Amino acid sequence: MAIVSLKNVKKTYPLGKTEVKAVRGVSFDIARGDFISIAGPSGSGKSTILNMIGCIDVPTEGTVELNGHLTSDLNDREITRLRHKFVGFIFQSFNLIPVLTVYENIEFPLLLGKNVPAPPERKEWVNYLMDEVGLKDWTKHRPNELSGGQRQRVAIARALVTKPELVLADEPTANLDSETSEAIIGLMKKVNQDMGTTFIFSTHDPTIVDLAEHIIRLRDGLIDSEYRRDTEGGR
Amino acid sequence: MKLIRLAAKNLLRQKRRSILLGSAIAFGILFVTLINGFTGSFIINVGENFSNLLAGHIFIDGVEKSETGKELYIIRDDSALMDAVDASGIDYRFLTKRSEIRGSLLFEGNGINQSIVGADWSRESYFKERIILKEGSFDNMADPQALIISSKIADRLQVELGDRVIVKMQTYTGQQTAGDFTIAAISIDTGLFGSISCYANLDYVNELLNLAPDEYLTLGIYLPELVDTEPSTDSLIPELEKRISLFSRETAGDENPFMAILEQQEEEEWEGIRYRLSNINDILSEVEEIVRILNIASIVILLVLFAIIMVGITNTFRMVMFERIQEIGTMRAVGMQRSEVRQLFLLEALFLALFGLAAGYLLTAGAMGILSSIYWGVDTPLFMLLKNGYMTFTITAGQILLNIAIVTLLTLAAAFRPSDKAARLEPGVALATEK
Repeated sequence: MAIVSLKNVKKTYPLGKTEVKAVRGVSFDIARGDFISIAGPSGSGKSTILNMIGCIDVPTEGTVELNGHLTSDLNDREITRLRHKFVGFIFQSFNLIPVLTVYENIEFPLLLGKNVPAPPERKEWVNYLMDEVGLKDWTKHRPNELSGGQRQRVAIARALVTKPELVLADEPTANLDSETSEAIIGLMKKVNQDMGTTFIFSTHDPTIVDLAEHIIRLRDGLIDSEYRRDTEGGR
Repeated sequence: MKLIRLAAKNLLRQKRRSILLGSAIAFGILFVTLINGFTGSFIINVGENFSNLLAGHIFIDGVEKSETGKELYIIRDDSALMDAVDASGIDYRFLTKRSEIRGSLLFEGNGINQSIVGADWSRESYFKERIILKEGSFDNMADPQALIISSKIADRLQVELGDRVIVKMQTYTGQQTAGDFTIAAISIDTGLFGSISCYANLDYVNELLNLAPDEYLTLGIYLPELVDTEPSTDSLIPELEKRISLFSRETAGDENPFMAILEQQEEEEWEGIRYRLSNINDILSEVEEIVRILNIASIVILLVLFAIIMVGITNTFRMVMFERIQEIGTMRAVGMQRSEVRQLFLLEALFLALFGLAAGYLLTAGAMGILSSIYWGVDTPLFMLLKNGYMTFTITAGQILLNIAIVTLLTLAAAFRPSDKAARLEPGVALATEK
C-alpha cells in the first residue's frame, strides 16, 4: 500500500478578483521508505503539493490519502492528530521556536498529544537525535545562536522526534550553501536508510534533485516527468 | 506544563511591552486597592472617633412624660441601669454620665450656637487623653465654671483664656435661662464634630439645666472595641427590659433602629419614664451607606480603568499574533491542536494579569506604608476619617479576591478574541503569511 496517494488533486487560490491555479490535476503514489524529490521551478506547485500531503492545506478538488486515511474524511482535530503522529516537517526557513533551546525545540512535538513519553525515555531519545544530527554540544543554545546548517539540523531532529513514517521537507536547502545543502540531504538520506522513514522534499536545485531516488518534476501545476532511479522508469 | 513554560517564555520575549501592560494593570490595582483600603478603615475610624467624641459605644437616655404631656430628657435614678449593665456581663472600659446644654455662647457681641457637654472629669481620665489642648490645662477644670472650647470657636468668639462667656439656654424643662463660664482651655480643632461641642463640669451643667447633682441625661458605655457594640447591645437589652421600660429597637427591614425608637416615642401612647438605647452603629449606618457607595464607585473605576487597559491588551495580542503567525503555523503543523494554541495565548494573558496583580499589590503595600506613616494632624477636616491623625487601611480578603477575579477575567476576555483568531488560523495559511 502506498504511504501517500494523490488522485487528480487540484488547488486554486483566490488572488484578488482572479484565481491562481497552483495545482491543476496531479496524481501519484509514494511508496513506504521512498526518498523522493519534487522538483520544479518557482510557482510550479511544489510547496502546495507538500502542504496538501502534510494536511496543512486542503485540495480544491481530488483526494489525498495518507497512510490509508482519506484526509477529506477527517476533522481538524483528527487531522492534527494524524499530522502529529505520522508526519514530520522541515521548512525552508527552519521555523524553530525562538524562545526555546535546541533541546526544547526538538522535544516540543513529543510534548504534544495525549501519549507523552516519560521524561527519561524522552530525554534519551532527544539526546540520541541530537547526537545523530551532530548537535549534542549545542543543547542549551537558542536558534539565533546557530548557523543556518545547524538550525536545519535542529529542524530535522524535530521532524524525526515523534518517529513519523513520513517527513516532508519544503526546500530544506534553499537557505543553505551548497556544501551544507549536500550535508543536510546526506543526513536525511541516512535517516531514510537507517530508520526507513519516507522523505519527500521539494527543491529547485538540480544538484540536490539528483540525490533523490524518485523524482517528480512539476511544471505549471502539472507533473512534467516522474523518474525512479531503481526502475529507470519515467514519463 | 509545556504550555505554561512556553507561555512564560513568550511573555518574557518582549519584556518592555509586558512590563508596560503589567504596569497599567498594577496602577489600576494600586488605585482601586487604596480606595478600598481607605474606605475599609473609614468606618472603623469614624466609629472610633465618634465613640471618643461621644464617650461611648452604647448610649442610654431617659424620656419622662410630664403631666402636661411634654417629653423631658433625664435620668433621675440610674440604679436599675447599673444593675442591668452588671447583670448583662458586658465587658466595658468605663461608663460616662453626661448632661448637655444646647445654647448660644455669647462674648462681647459675638455669638455662636454650641453644645456644652458636662462631664465628670475626675472619672473620665480616658476622655482627657483624647482632647489635645492648645492653650490652658485640665488643672483649670478645678474651677466649677470652667469651659474648654475648640480653637475655631475661640477665634469666632474672639475669646482668650480666662475670659468669661455667657450661655443663653433652656433648662431641661424648657425654661429660658443663662449662665456664665470661664475659658479654662482651648483645644485643637478636630474638624466638624470637634467644633460643635465644648466641655464643662457636669455639676455646673446640671445646675444650669436645673437637674439635681445625681441626675444626668445620657449614660454612655465605652467598650474595648467597636466590634463589641452589637454583641454587647444584644446582651444588655434583655437585662434592661427586666428592669425598666425600654423602647424597642426592633425594625421591620433595613431601617435604622434609632428611627424605630423615635417612631414609637412619637406615635405610641405611653406615660411615665421610658428609656432609649442607641449605639454607635445607629450613627454609623449612614457612614456605612457612604462606604458602600465608595466601594461601588471603586469597582466602577476599576471597570473603567480596565476597559481602557483591555483595549491595550487586545491590540497587543493582535500584534503578537501577527508577529508570531509563522510560529503558530509551525506549532499547528507539528501537532498542536487549536485549543492548545488558544490556551497558550490565554496563559500568556493570565501570566500578564498575575504579574500586574503582584506588582500592583506590592506597590499598594508600599503606598499604604508611606501614607500611613505620614502624620496628617488632628486639626484637619480629614480627622474623623483618620486614626489619631494617621491614615489607616483595612482591606478584606474578599475584596482582594474580587479585584483579582475582575482583573484576571477582564485580561482573559481582552486576550480571548486574538487568541481565538490565532487558534482558528489554518496552518498552511499561517506558514505562508509573510510579515
